[in-house]
Amino acid sequence: MAAELFLAAAATLTLAVVFAPPRVQRASLLTRGLVGLAGMAAITIAPTLDLILLIVLVLAVLQAGLVSHRDFAARVRAPVLAIALLALGVAFERVEGPPLLLRLGAVGIVAGLVAAIGLLPYLHEFDPDESTVASPIPWIAFVGPLLAVAVLARAKQVLPADASDAFGAMLIGLGLLNVLWGTLAAWRTESDAGAWRYSFLSDWGLVLCGFGLAIADGQGAALILLLSIVLGRLPLYLWSRQAVRDKTPTDRPINLLVAAALAGSAPFAGFAARVMLLRGATQIYWPLAVVLAAAMLLWLPASLRLGRSMGVPRGRQAIGVAIVLAVSVFLGIYPQPLLALAG
Amino acid sequence: MIEVAAALIVWLGAALVVLADARRGLALGLAVVTIGFAVLAWASGQPVGGVALVVGGMTGALRCWTAGHGTWGLMPHGSTSRLVLCVAAGLLSWWISASVTPTPGGPLLFAVLVVLGLMAARILTGGDIVVDRTAIACFALALASSPALASSTPTGPVPYIFGALIAAAVIVAPATLPQGAARSGKDGG
Repeated sequence: MAAELFLAAAATLTLAVVFAPPRVQRASLLTRGLVGLAGMAAITIAPTLDLILLIVLVLAVLQAGLVSHRDFAARVRAPVLAIALLALGVAFERVEGPPLLLRLGAVGIVAGLVAAIGLLPYLHEFDPDESTVASPIPWIAFVGPLLAVAVLARAKQVLPADASDAFGAMLIGLGLLNVLWGTLAAWRTESDAGAWRYSFLSDWGLVLCGFGLAIADGQGAALILLLSIVLGRLPLYLWSRQAVRDKTPTDRPINLLVAAALAGSAPFAGFAARVMLLRGATQIYWPLAVVLAAAMLLWLPASLRLGRSMGVPRGRQAIGVAIVLAVSVFLGIYPQPLLALAG
Repeated sequence: MIEVAAALIVWLGAALVVLADARRGLALGLAVVTIGFAVLAWASGQPVGGVALVVGGMTGALRCWTAGHGTWGLMPHGSTSRLVLCVAAGLLSWWISASVTPTPGGPLLFAVLVVLGLMAARILTGGDIVVDRTAIACFALALASSPALASSTPTGPVPYIFGALIAAAVIVAPATLPQGAARSGKDGG
């Protein structure tokens, strides 16, 4: 799974650099993106969770060192909290303590993971005017997906069998919280940039539910959703920033298509993922599927809003949007090779 | 006995970082934490790791000591809550490592828990870049030492070397000041 996400992140970086708006400094974006990719490659090949945490610490310090109006302390705070929670969780899992300590360790790992990505209840400080590379967006949409997969894979090695159920339940609980909060907040907020940020939250909620289900359908849905975040939502967000700043909402067919892709409608990638997630949830506990289906329907108005906020992509951006939509359609119609690759 | 003493030294160093607001106090705290973790690494059969921690941690501490005008800044006015935090974190970590978990690596567990807890608290409540960087250096030393808690799997010197490099680099690297000019988003889209 990690290799697929790494390749998706590399493809997204290429798209973002090649089809960047004219005012964006491509060399700077490419350099910082490559540093992030190098960190992600290191996370992919790191054999233990401890090394992953050290790599995340390096990435956090490097990002906090970028020029921004927010100071170093404000930007390093969330990643450090995440690393502390994860490290405490892993330490509790390693020692031969009572079951309560093992469960506390599982709580630490889940809480740390959610804090690293920047989901509820650990939302990172977000300023729409901040440059994307210095903002929390790379944690939630670029490094975060691969980090989550790597942490969950390594965590399974240290988690005892009796803590696995609690681990999955916490993932589902936090997933539902983020789906509902992301959906409602994206609907209610006055800021379009804020709505984009909450849309990432909502997608991540579904991802956490998928991982928490711990069956093939859930894992497959989580993988497709993560790919749709990296390869779809992130580049669309980048290309929407100028229109969001200019406050130029439009109602062209392209906006409708983007809204459909963001909502997870057929034939885009999100649809296959949502079907698999609902099927998995029905197998495990059908009321969960009902709640998820309601949240997915609630997401439609917010997706229309995000689609309108894209403005009318022109020139290179139009090509970029077309490529993103085509990839999403391909993943939605034919996800089987991807799922087979991920095992 | 040496391991217990080393763990207490780590606690003392972490407490110094929490209680200090100026360079000399922070440098001394980082140096003491480094010595404690190096002894613990040596005692757990990682002499190369111990040497790496000493080199990395002391480089950071030396840089912190010599850069700019140095004062101690220990326990400034209003630091009672920080003192209480140091004592409470120490007692809680001691209880977990000595009473709750009957593992042979109790001193190392105590040292890792107390540094992770105190440094995270320091960064979350801090605001000064020198304080944050020193706390991150201590944090890296604790993360580098934590793989040794897993008695079942052998740990090589790689985490120690990596952690030591981070501890040195985070303090030696030049600081970036916040700038209002970065708000335009030109560098990142």
